[in-house]
Formats: sequence, structure tokens, C-alpha cells
Amino acid sequence: MRDKLDIEATSRTPAVVFDFANNHLKLAGESYPEDVTEFYRPVFDALDAYLRKLDKGSCRFDFELIYLNSSSAKAVMMLMDKLEAAAKKGAAVDVYWFYDKEDDTMQELGEEFGEDLETAKFHLEKMPG
Amino acid sequence: MLAGQLMDLRSMLHSQGVIFAYSGYVTEPVLSGVGEALKQKLTIDDADTKTLRSVFAIFVEQMQNIIRYSAEKAHQALPPASDVGALKEIRYGILTIGREGNDYVVCAGNLVRQVDVPRLKERLIRIRNMSKEELKALYKEQLRADPEEGSKGAGLGFMEIARRATQPIDFDFADVDDEYSFFALKATI
Repeated sequence: MRDKLDIEATSRTPAVVFDFANNHLKLAGESYPEDVTEFYRPVFDALDAYLRKLDKGSCRFDFELIYLNSSSAKAVMMLMDKLEAAAKKGAAVDVYWFYDKEDDTMQELGEEFGEDLETAKFHLEKMPG
Repeated sequence: MLAGQLMDLRSMLHSQGVIFAYSGYVTEPVLSGVGEALKQKLTIDDADTKTLRSVFAIFVEQMQNIIRYSAEKAHQALPPASDVGALKEIRYGILTIGREGNDYVVCAGNLVRQVDVPRLKERLIRIRNMSKEELKALYKEQLRADPEEGSKGAGLGFMEIARRATQPIDFDFADVDDEYSFFALKATI
């Protein structure tokens, strides 16, 4: 398995910084790709491979999204589902949702995703600054 | 003559408060480009963060609705050999962004097939009459549901627009002929 997945942000896609060696994964920026499936497929694949090996280990996932369109919301939900499934199997998973305090829509969206996490620990926090 | 005609068109848009107008075939790069200009204009206007994000979010959903669902389309007769199977289609629509008093308005219009009108109307009426709380519940439900047949996204676009808008969405249909109807959707922020 790779020890990291690094995808640079573009104006329409978020930065993906999966530091598997340190069990710290991050998605940051804006997400409204031309083709959601094409962008998120390698992200899902890398996360699946990592979570299979994680077993009872611990990991942290940071969502630092400024804006996401409705099709990306579905992709984010699928990421959350994968993290929750890993937690149910015994991993210690912490999910952080950072939102811009000026935009309560993103705060609400975070709350909605958080409601579906039963075993993974959800943290809702304001972006610093 | 030439200047007069174009100026009339511009004046008509201007008198309706329109800041941006795009009528034509819409592609993803068009969305990117117009989107960047829109962000810049909103920044110049000193719009607050929430307004800027909401206008932009609604613009994206409206543009993607045209790109995916407009019934007026043009495509290459034969796909290029290197790209077999990926028949390149472009779809036609109109989108305007303007001001009404202190509000921003994002309007989009495109042809839809008459057979799709009743289903569209039903969905839009349902969404228009919902409170923010009801919209939130439906959004969550739809996020978990499999997309409807014929949907190319998550089926969340109208809900996203209604949630981001500060007033109930407005929509209308005008018959074109037996096969097509013109669909218009307006969101106020």
C-alpha cells in the first residue's frame, strides 16, 4: 500500500492529503468537479485500501471544505460511510468537519453528516482565522 | 445599426438589473469561466461571505442543470476515433445573474420535453412549499437514496438551490410546441 496520496487543489477540486503513514487524512478546498466520479474514484480506492489495513488502529480525517456542490455532497457522504464502517469494525476514527464561521450552510451540512456517524467520533469546529 | 441593435439588447438586460447573461451552448469550462468572473464581481460588490457562496452555489447548480438536462442539444455525428463511445454533446440554455433591490437573482432557462413537465412541476412545487427544516430532511433522505432514473447527478440540485435561496424558488413553464416546453427557474439570494 502507498504511504500517501497527494492531490493538489485546483479551482474546482479540493486538495487531497492522505498521510497514511501518520494516519492523518485531509480533504481541503472547493469541490465542484466536472466529473465527480472521475475525481473521487482514486480517492475512494486509496481510502478503501488504507482502511482495510487499519484494523483496530486509529485515524483522523479532516474535512476543510469551503464549498461543495450537490454531487460532491454525495461523494462526501460515501467517504463518511467508509469511515463509519471502519469504526464499526473496531478502528478508532475521528472525523473533523471544519467550517467557515461566515457560512452557516457548511456548518449545517457538517451537522447533517455528523448525525449519521454512530461509532466514528465527530467533531464540528470553526476554521481557524 | 449594428451598435444600435446590440445596445438595445444590452439596455434591455440592464433595465432588468442583469449583470451577467449567457445564452448559448453551455459546457463545464463555460461554467468555470463565468463562475470566476462572478466571484470577482461579488467580491468587488463587497458581498458578505454567505451571500457570495450562496449566489455561487446556486449558479453552479443552475449551470449544471442546463449542461446535463437541457433538451436542446447538438452533438457530433461521429465521435472522434480516439474517443469512441464518448459522444460529445453540448446543451443549450440561458442564464442570468442580476440585482433586484438588495437581492441577487439567478435565473436559468432551457427546453425540456413535454413528457417530463408534470414530474418536474410536481418536484418543484413540493420543494417550493417546504420550510427550511423540511428541505433539510428531504435533502438528507435524497442524499442516501439512489438517484432517480435519468438523473446524472445526486438528484439534489433543486434542493440545494432552495436551501441556499433566501426566498422560495420561483419557476414557470411556457409551451413551445407539442414536444417541448421552456422551463425557467429563479432563485433569490
